[in-house]
Amino acid sequence: MERAVPPAVPLGQMEVFQALQRLHMTIFSQSVSPCGKFLAAGNNYGQIAIFSLSAALSSEAKEESKKPIVTFQAHDGPVYSMVSTDRHLLSAGDGEVKAWLWAEILKKGCKELWRRQPPYRTSLEVPEINALLLVPKENSLILAGGDCQLHTMDLETGTFTRALRGHTDYIHCLALRERSPEVLSGGEDGAVRLWDLRTAREVQTIEVYKHEECSRPHNGRWIGCLATDSDWMVCGGGPALTLWHLRSSTPTTVFPMRAPQKHVTFYQDLVLTAAGNSCRVDVFTNLGYRAFSLSF
Amino acid sequence: MSSESSKKRKPKVIRSDGAPAEGKRNRSDTEQEGKYYSEEAEVDLRDPGRDYELYKYTCQELQRLMAEIQDLKSRGGKDAAIEIEDRRIQSCVHFMTLKKLNRLAHIRLKKGRDQTHEAKQKVDAYHLQLQNLLYEVMHLQKEITKCLEFKSKHEEIDLVSLEEFYKEAPPDISKAEVTMGDPHQQTLARLDWELEQRKRLAEKYRECLSNKEKILKEIEVKKEYLSSLQPRLNSIMQASLPVQEYLFMPFDQAHKQYETARHLPPPLYVLFVQATAYGQACAHMKSSQTPRQDKTLSVAIEGSVDEAKALFKPPEDSQDDESDSDAEEEQTTKRRRPTLGVQLDDKRKEMLKRHPLSVMLDLKCKDDSVLHLTFYYLMNLNIMTVKAKVTTATELITPISAGDLLSPDSVLSCLYPGDHGKKTPNPANQYQFDKVGILTLRDYVLDLGHPYLWVQKLGGLHFPKEQPQHTVVADHSLSASHMETTMKLLKTRVQSRLALHKQFASLEHGIVPVTSDCQYLFPAKVVSRLVKWVAIAHEDYMELHFTKDIVEAGLAGDTNLYYMALVERGTAKLQAAVVLNPGYSSIPPIFQLCLNWKGEKTNSNDDNIRAMESEVNVCYKELCGPRPSHQLLTNQLQRLCVLLDVYLETESHDDSVEGPKEFPQEKMCLRLFRGPSRMKPFKYNHPQGFFSHR
Repeated sequence: MERAVPPAVPLGQMEVFQALQRLHMTIFSQSVSPCGKFLAAGNNYGQIAIFSLSAALSSEAKEESKKPIVTFQAHDGPVYSMVSTDRHLLSAGDGEVKAWLWAEILKKGCKELWRRQPPYRTSLEVPEINALLLVPKENSLILAGGDCQLHTMDLETGTFTRALRGHTDYIHCLALRERSPEVLSGGEDGAVRLWDLRTAREVQTIEVYKHEECSRPHNGRWIGCLATDSDWMVCGGGPALTLWHLRSSTPTTVFPMRAPQKHVTFYQDLVLTAAGNSCRVDVFTNLGYRAFSLSF
Repeated sequence: MSSESSKKRKPKVIRSDGAPAEGKRNRSDTEQEGKYYSEEAEVDLRDPGRDYELYKYTCQELQRLMAEIQDLKSRGGKDAAIEIEDRRIQSCVHFMTLKKLNRLAHIRLKKGRDQTHEAKQKVDAYHLQLQNLLYEVMHLQKEITKCLEFKSKHEEIDLVSLEEFYKEAPPDISKAEVTMGDPHQQTLARLDWELEQRKRLAEKYRECLSNKEKILKEIEVKKEYLSSLQPRLNSIMQASLPVQEYLFMPFDQAHKQYETARHLPPPLYVLFVQATAYGQACAHMKSSQTPRQDKTLSVAIEGSVDEAKALFKPPEDSQDDESDSDAEEEQTTKRRRPTLGVQLDDKRKEMLKRHPLSVMLDLKCKDDSVLHLTFYYLMNLNIMTVKAKVTTATELITPISAGDLLSPDSVLSCLYPGDHGKKTPNPANQYQFDKVGILTLRDYVLDLGHPYLWVQKLGGLHFPKEQPQHTVVADHSLSASHMETTMKLLKTRVQSRLALHKQFASLEHGIVPVTSDCQYLFPAKVVSRLVKWVAIAHEDYMELHFTKDIVEAGLAGDTNLYYMALVERGTAKLQAAVVLNPGYSSIPPIFQLCLNWKGEKTNSNDDNIRAMESEVNVCYKELCGPRPSHQLLTNQLQRLCVLLDVYLETESHDDSVEGPKEFPQEKMCLRLFRGPSRMKPFKYNHPQGFFSHR
């Protein structure tokens, strides 16, 4: 099988190192700016890169348009999740959440606005924060991660108000069910738990791996991604990506994706998902059709 | 003759007539003794006129008698006979008379002739005398004229003028009183004086000659002395060599080298000068620390100086040679008619000709291994090439996989990134190559040496890509600016290769040689073992299915070295394809993994494999070890073993499959999974000894 091999460019030490970094890079999180023109992406090295979406999506897009406008070291550890408020970009990774001003972020040498660390129980190892969720009605932020708890933080005061316990293993993902309001959390223990924010209690538990249609025991039972549309929920991970009806807690559609999914979003009746094991963010304009990739 | 003829006639004369005998007797007495009749005397007495008359009368008588006889005979008769007889007797008498007359006439004639002859002879004699005299006269006249014309030699001599003569000549020569009046004497005196002067001068001349001889002899002696001095000086120089060595001031050697260096072509000369300067500078820097000057860099010139000189023959000679060789060539072509291929081959050889002199650099490293570099200059292409050889203090046993590490072909490859030395750095060469059908220099590098870019820089040759220059001249500053960096790179290269060499020997035996100062990077117990370590070819690496990412990123060129390592534990087999960049260890080796355990897992289907690769490839700086970083590869391999251990032991147990876990967890881990990607704890913490996540 003949493949076009790119000519070996004379590479110095720096170039080789950068190439290796790019090969082993994983983008864990992304977030679109409030104005919609920029995309922030966070990787496993703790860097955040800001891309210009308008430039990349325009008709005169060149190679440079797909390169970041600015890249900076945000965290010591990987940036596992990011969300945007109307003015801030919140990023979280190695046990801390940091806030950045979107207006300032394009300037070089941008410093975080503030950083907070939820009260952890264990001190031996700092647990990671895998998911961030904004609750606009309360103006609070929910963090969930390695310590198997959901923490709520008030965005104005910065204090941590609640800690929801229930998961037996660390939490991967969060989703907000707006109507109730309820928070869904999926974790390593294979369960999707619904929490009522007002009562701070676990309302419903769905153990996905126990359902035969979607369970894939060789992959494990962990739930990697969650998305909810109040009545419906899509979740996947070890088990296959499945659409659930929440009230009846029954799986309705199983999506035929082989790889364990990492991110999934509902967007205007489309499901956007990415199983990215690379330094690229794949933009799906239609389900299954990948238009182009943004590269770190 | 006349006496002979008279003697012959003597008997006849006696027989014949006796009448005139009396006259004869007088004569015969006077002439000869004995009695004989001399008719010569008679001739004188007789009158020739009367004889003539007698003759006429006798003839008439005879005629008459004959007529009478005839009458008588015709008439016939008896008495006729007596008449006839009578007449016959008369005619006989007449015949006698005639005979006598004839004789007389003859004698007269003879006498007349004799007389004439005598007279003639006399006249001749006189004539001769006359002529002799005339001749003598002429001769004398000539002599006289000669004498009259005679110029005495003394007239050719420029004599000193009279005044001078009288002034200078001593009185006994000049004799003024005599000479003044007498020009002859004066001239004589003057000549005398001249002679005197000449004698004196001749004397002086002889003296001078002898002086000159003496002086010449002295000169000879001195010359000999000097020439004998030269070998003595040489022997002193020779004797001083050990002293020079002892004091580490090899002037002699250096001088000889500089002499030879004059014949080097400009780029080699630049290299020679800069390398010597650098070597001396290094030695000086070190001498402050150690009492002994360490010769880390030694420079030498090799090759035939005569051939180098022969390259610069004067044009006339070379023209002659050309015409000779042309004539020869014509002849040979007429005889041989070489094929086009042979001619092309010769042209190629001519184009790739090397200058007969080369510069040898010996770089000595700390462990006594030496890198021998020989630099050549290709005259027609205006580039330099280098051949390298590494020798070690002790004999190296080459492990199978280390074949290419120290091979002369590849040991200096990519000293600077991308400098693979397979293409000529001079863009103008391409046109030359096209003429003789050389595609690339790559085919000839084994023979000619590698034309690396740093070699050109060391020789001061700069070939800018943007503006191709017509003539590239060797530049000292370019060479000087690159010398130190290049030397350092060369040393690190040799040392890292030698270190790898040793390590490979150990790796082939399945032992990962981890030095004691790197032990802290790994836990005490490592169960996975390195089972195989082999070198593979570039094409094989490209064919592997799990190396596509590296290939696509352009990190797997053909200047790299490729290896395959196999790590095993139980039923799990981990293949690692290693890309070793020539710039090891500043550029880390790149590992691509493929795990065969419960299926095949590579970085495309298992994030943890990707994380393992990341641990080895990206986090290599922790594994470098102490300063020369030669431990990088072995540390990476050891870490790989540790990672495999962690992977296998932390694998979550699949409930659907029966049976116990193959690998019980022995490693201390805080958490087994972390983060959205559910990574295993690959990071080893020292000295606590537990595994955590990055």
